[in-house]
Amino acid sequence: MTFLAQVELIKPPEIEYSAIAPVLIVLGAACVSVLFEAFLPKHQRWAAQVVLTMLTFIGAGTALGLYAGAETTTAQGITTLSGAVAVDRPVIFLWVTLLLLGFGSILLIADRSVEPGGAFVADAAVRPGTVQDRAQATRTGMQTEVFPLTLFALAGMMVFVAANDLLTMFIALEVLSLPLYLMCGLARRRRLLSQEAAVKYFLLGAFASAFFLYGLALLYGYAGSVKLADIATATAGSDKSDTLLFAGFGLLVVGLLFKASVGPFHAWTPDVYQGAPTPITAFMAACTKVAAFGGILRVLTVAFERTNWEWRGVLWGVAVASMVIGAVLGLTQTDVKRMVAYSSVAHAGFLLIGSISLTEQGLSGTLFYLLAYGFTTIAVFGVISLVRNADGEATHLSQWAGLAKRSPVLAGVFTFLLLALAGIPLTSGFVGKFVVFAAAIQDGLAPLVVVALVASAVAAFFYLRVIVLMYFSEPAPDGPTVTVPGAFTTIAITVGAAVTLVLGVWPSFALDWAGAGGFIF
Amino acid sequence: MTPTYYLLLSALLFSLGAVGVLVRRNAIVVFMCVELMLNAVNLTLVTFSRMHGELDGQVMGFFVMVVAAAEVVVGLTIIMSIFRTRRSASVDDSNLLKY
Amino acid sequence: MLQPYLPLVFMFLLAGAFALFSVTAAPYIGPRRYNRAKLDAYECGIEPSPAPIVGGGRMPVAYYLTAMLFILFDIEMVFLYPFAVSADKLGLFGLVEIALFVATVGFAYAYVWRRGGLDWN
Repeated sequence: MTFLAQVELIKPPEIEYSAIAPVLIVLGAACVSVLFEAFLPKHQRWAAQVVLTMLTFIGAGTALGLYAGAETTTAQGITTLSGAVAVDRPVIFLWVTLLLLGFGSILLIADRSVEPGGAFVADAAVRPGTVQDRAQATRTGMQTEVFPLTLFALAGMMVFVAANDLLTMFIALEVLSLPLYLMCGLARRRRLLSQEAAVKYFLLGAFASAFFLYGLALLYGYAGSVKLADIATATAGSDKSDTLLFAGFGLLVVGLLFKASVGPFHAWTPDVYQGAPTPITAFMAACTKVAAFGGILRVLTVAFERTNWEWRGVLWGVAVASMVIGAVLGLTQTDVKRMVAYSSVAHAGFLLIGSISLTEQGLSGTLFYLLAYGFTTIAVFGVISLVRNADGEATHLSQWAGLAKRSPVLAGVFTFLLLALAGIPLTSGFVGKFVVFAAAIQDGLAPLVVVALVASAVAAFFYLRVIVLMYFSEPAPDGPTVTVPGAFTTIAITVGAAVTLVLGVWPSFALDWAGAGGFIF
Repeated sequence: MTPTYYLLLSALLFSLGAVGVLVRRNAIVVFMCVELMLNAVNLTLVTFSRMHGELDGQVMGFFVMVVAAAEVVVGLTIIMSIFRTRRSASVDDSNLLKY
Repeated sequence: MLQPYLPLVFMFLLAGAFALFSVTAAPYIGPRRYNRAKLDAYECGIEPSPAPIVGGGRMPVAYYLTAMLFILFDIEMVFLYPFAVSADKLGLFGLVEIALFVATVGFAYAYVWRRGGLDWN
C-alpha cells in the first residue's frame, strides 16, 4: 500500500475525556500558569500561582476520584486515544500517588518562610558570584516560573505511567525531564553548584533519552509498531531476528533505568540531588521515581513478559549492582543530601526487584513501595531544608552533630523518617520492603532477596550513623540553627511523616488498593 | 538500494554520537553529539518505515525533531548560563560536585 | 490528466511573480544603509566571529536567544504538515485539535513577548 493510500485511512481517534481529564486539567493549568507569568505584574505572581496550583490539584484529584468511583467505569480499565494511553487500576493508583506527592512537593516549592523569598533564585539571569547576585540572595522575589514548570513535569509523569505505546512514552519522558533540567539550576544559594547540577543532569539525561529513542526505533523495526501490545504479539512466535528485539530492549531499558536512577546508571543522582534546590530534589526523588518505575513496570509486564527468560538475568544483575552501589557508597558520604541520594539508588534496586517479579504481588508490592517511599522522601527533604546557617542549608553531616539538643522535635521526626528508609517495623518502609521481597521469593528470586537484605542492613548503618550523630554528639557552638517552618513546609513534613506511620501500622487498605488490578493494553 | 545500508549508516552515526558524548570535553560539542544520536534515530525510523511500507515511522520522525528542538533550547540555556559564570564550556571544569 | 496540477502551476506563477516583485521593488521602496556586516561575503545580519567587538569576538547573548526562539517556533509548526495532508479525513476534530495546538504555541509566544524575549538589546 502506498503512503498516500494510507493517508486515506486516517481517522480521528476515540477519546474518553473523563478518563484522561486529570492529565488535561494539569496540562491546561500549566498553560494558564504560563499566561499568568506573561501578564501578571511581578508582585502578584507568587500568590496567583499558588492559588492556581492548589486549585489544579483539587480539580485533577476530583476528576480522578469521579472517574475512578463512577458506576460506568469498567472494573479493569480502558485504553483510549487509539490505544496510546491506558487508564487502568495501576495507572489510577500511580496518578493518585503522583498527585499527592506532587502536592507535597508544591508545598515545599511554594514555601517562603524557611528562606525569605523561597528556595529559588530571584532573577536567574544574574550571574552567580557578582554583586547583583549577592543582592538577589536577600531579595524576597523568586522565579515563579517553577510553578508552570512543575505542572508540566507532573503532567509528563502522569502521561508517562499511562503511556501504552513507546512514542507517547518518549514524549512524556521529555515533557517530564526538560522542566526538571531547568528547575535544577534555579537555586537561590550556591548557584554555581546548582547550575552545574543542571548541566550534568541535562547532558546525561539527553544522552539517556537518545538511548531510549534508539531502542524505540529498533523495536519499531522489529515489531512494525511501537504499541506495547503489538510488541508483545510480535515476540510470540515470530521468525524475525531477535537481534533487533534485544538490542532495542536493552537500549530502551537503559533509558528507563537512568530516569529511575538505578544501579550503574545512577551517576547523575548524587550530584543533582545535592546541587538542585531542596524542594526540587524532593520533587525529583519522589515523583520522578514513581513515574519511572510506573513506566518500567508497564513496559516489562505488557511488552516483554513473554521474553522474560532472556532479560531477567540482566536486570537481576542490575538490581544487585544498584543495591550494592547505593548501600556501600552511601556509607562514605559526608553530605546529607548525597547520602539520601545514594539511599535512593539502593531503594531503586529494591524497587527493581519488585518490578522484575512479574506477578500480581510484584506489581502491587512495587506500587505500594513507591507510595510509601515517596511520602517519606518528601518529608526527609522537607526536614533537610530546615537546618540552616547564614550560608543557606547546612547539609554537611558534621553540622548535624547534636541537633537533638537544639531541636528535639526535628531530630525526632528525622530519626523516624530515617528508620522508615532503613525499613524498621512500624514504618511504611518495612511494609514496602516486606511485600516486595515476599513477591520476589514467590517468583523464585530468593538469592536476590538475600542480597537485598544484606544491602538493607548495610544501608541501615549509615542511617543509624546520622541518628547517633544527632543524639550523642555535642553541638558545635557555631552550628546551624533549625528554622521554624511556615504552614506549607510544616504540612508537607507532617503529612509525609504521618503517612509513613499510617502505612506502617495499617497498610492493608493501601495494599488492597495497589492490588486492585493489572495492566490493560 | 537495500534499506539495510541505511540502518548500518544510522547505527554508525549513533555510535559516533555516543562516542563523541563520552570523549569530547566541550559541553556544546557533547550536546551536538547527542543531537547526532537523535538524528541517527530519525534515519532508522524512516528506513524502517520504508521497509514496513508504513507511515508511522515518518510521523515519529516529526516528533523526534520537535523534541530535539525543545531539547536544544533547554540545553543551550543551561550551558549558556553556566558559561557566563565560568567563561568556559568544558565539562571538566564542572567539578564542584563530587563525592 | 494534468488537471489536478493546475493549482500547482498557479502557485508557482504566484511565487515567481512575488519574488520578481520583491526584488525589483526593494531598491525603490527600502532604505539603503550600508555597513560592514552587510558588505561581508556571508550576509546574515551579524559580523562573523572573531570580530573585534567587546566580549572577545563572541556572539552576543541576544543572538542565541533569538536563534533558540526561532528554532522552537519554526519546528513546532512541522505538525501543521501532517495535519494539512489529512485535514479532510480528520474533519472538525482535527481542526479543533490543531487550533488548540496553535493556541498552546501562542501561550508560549505570549510569554516570550511579554517578558521581552523579542527585544534586541
